[in-house]
Amino acid sequence: MNFKERILTAMNHEEPDQVPVMGLIMDTATVNHILGKKPVDFVGMLQKPVVGTQIKSLLNTNRFWKRMYYDNFAGALGSAIKLGFDANWTICTLMRLNRDSQASLGWSWYDPYGRVWDLGRDAEGNLAVNYSRPLCDTEEKWEAWVAKRASLFETMIKNTASFHKKLVENYGAHIYSIGYAAPGIFENSWQPIGFVNFTRFIYQKPEFVKRVIAFQTDLYIRNLDAVMQSGVEVVLGGDDLGQKTGPMVRPDVVEKLYGESYRRVSDFVHQKKRKFVFHSCGNIYALLDKFVEWGFDGIITMEPTAGMDLGRVREQVGHKLVLIGNLDVSYLMVSGTQQEVEDAVKKAIGDAARGGGYILSTSHSHPLVDPTRMQWMVEAAHKYGRYPIGN
Amino acid sequence: MPNVALEELKSSFLSLDMEATLRVANTVIRGDDKATVKEAVDVVAQSLEIVGKRFQAGEWYLAELVYAGEIAKEAMNILSPLMQTGSSQSLGTIVIGTVAGDLHDLGKNIVVSYARSAGFRVVDLGVDVLAQRFIGAVKEHKPVALGMSCLLTSTERELAGVIEELKSQKLRDRVKVIIGGAALSEKVAYDVSADAFAPDAITGIDIMKKWSASA
Ligand code: B12
Repeated sequence: MNFKERILTAMNHEEPDQVPVMGLIMDTATVNHILGKKPVDFVGMLQKPVVGTQIKSLLNTNRFWKRMYYDNFAGALGSAIKLGFDANWTICTLMRLNRDSQASLGWSWYDPYGRVWDLGRDAEGNLAVNYSRPLCDTEEKWEAWVAKRASLFETMIKNTASFHKKLVENYGAHIYSIGYAAPGIFENSWQPIGFVNFTRFIYQKPEFVKRVIAFQTDLYIRNLDAVMQSGVEVVLGGDDLGQKTGPMVRPDVVEKLYGESYRRVSDFVHQKKRKFVFHSCGNIYALLDKFVEWGFDGIITMEPTAGMDLGRVREQVGHKLVLIGNLDVSYLMVSGTQQEVEDAVKKAIGDAARGGGYILSTSHSHPLVDPTRMQWMVEAAHKYGRYPIGN
Repeated sequence: MPNVALEELKSSFLSLDMEATLRVANTVIRGDDKATVKEAVDVVAQSLEIVGKRFQAGEWYLAELVYAGEIAKEAMNILSPLMQTGSSQSLGTIVIGTVAGDLHDLGKNIVVSYARSAGFRVVDLGVDVLAQRFIGAVKEHKPVALGMSCLLTSTERELAGVIEELKSQKLRDRVKVIIGGAALSEKVAYDVSADAFAPDAITGIDIMKKWSASA
């Protein structure tokens, strides 16, 4: 079997030749390590007066932005191929750089939805980008913001379609490039408004919250459509619905606010004859049955630091969901020994791989997830993941 | 005999009805009722504690915890302009922040809001806080506890860095250190020699209350 057949067989809850392995590689530090590239001190350059302004106008040119973003994920796919993964995720986003007196480095990005992303350096000096605050803390600001960004949304959709198509054209012969429409409807509704404000609005302005969610759902479906133009049979979507101890919002409230949206998403993907795999961090046991009800085909990550256990998830949902995960990224994949990585792989396979419907991966990515440990993970999958899986 | 306004205050708070809670608070403040401001403040603090227990038990969720925190904040604004803190006496100061390199702040903000309502004076240093700023704030405010939030494995070493610096500046014996956040555990607390790890805000506040009582 080749990588694609392996993934699709598993996605069908059938047993492939061996357990497929998927990479969640995306951080620049990880890509640089694997491909032997040096970090670029982007932040340092930006802080030089004249150069800073030039970089700003360059980055805010769509052609350059697209190129930079594409190169990053081309690097991620190249890295995943080098390590022997069957698949890797790919994400397209759009941001604009701005001077910002509230940001520690004097610059930040904003995205079309209304979030500010802080600009920083990771431990090795690579550019790091992180959501830091909302721009639309009132109803009026949110309305004005989205009305003014109509053309930016169009650019985002167009970029997304060409980004995924090009990655598949250039790398599709070697790896299964699975597009991820991110961020999802939940995050796109709360993050531009702020969690505390959004929570207040759930109680005090339910009509406004409904309008925000409806808007984000329509936009999200267009975004998914753009991702799916690459022709790949599986598409990722998602939202962090969980935190360390449980869902962020009461499950019946999630159902009331988002149930219809998620059902529309699944229906749309299924109409296009694709499969929909949902990503959520945090402790999400209380939502697993909902995922099945909403028509999701699988879930990806399942965070061990939040108590998610692969065996327990399989027990709860059986083969109603494909499971992709979930080696720990807080210790194991950062500084675990080879024996520990092997043991974790064996355990994951034993817990979830029988009958197919399982793809091995880490439980997230971050700049310290170590390439050598990923390599050990792939090797262990080849060693212990041959079907039929023993007892 | 239970006072009607206080009963209503508690029940509207626990049904997360902000409007009704604030209406009762205003009645108390105007002296329309026999209840004293102090009693009302204590009811808000007790109710918040109940919300916290429900959250710990998994009966209530984060959004409810956050919204209850908001109701308490507004009720306190009415009941006691003097008391940014919730209970009628201060439990001392705590200094808190999210460590350098980490921008996660939802969790830290909840700890801040519940700690204030529980009666602590809170110095909130925000996110991405460098070790020097933690140390400076400990020197300046002489807190009962230093709280550090850290959700990322990549920033765990910051915790150890701050604690080492406390030691080298001979401040370690003067302040208890508590840590919390996604990637952490009891083991990390032990490894970095913090005094405690809290899996959630309510547990953390319970621990800090004990420290405050024995300080
Ligand atoms: C929301 C979220 C984000 C948001 C943050 C928004 C914000 N302004 O805070 C965004 C999208 C920006 C984000 C970004 C990233 N994230 Co994030 N994120 C989460 C998520 C899903 C929830 C965190 C949260 O807000 N929970 C809700 C709050 C209320 O809970 P809490 O923080 O745990 O706090 C409670 C307790 O822990 C405790 N507590 C917390 N701090 C303290 C402090 C004290 C003193 C006390 C007493 C108690 C206490 O009390 C709180 C209330 O009960 C977690 C998953 C998880 N398991 O938590 C991942 C998670 C933390 N993120 C993760 C990662 C990897 C990242 C990124 C690196 C992703 C990337 N590759 O770019 C970036 C890093 C950004 C940065 N430099 O900080 C990983 C960390 C893994 C690891 N081991 O390092 C997690 C665990 C997800 C995962 N699947 O593994 N993230």
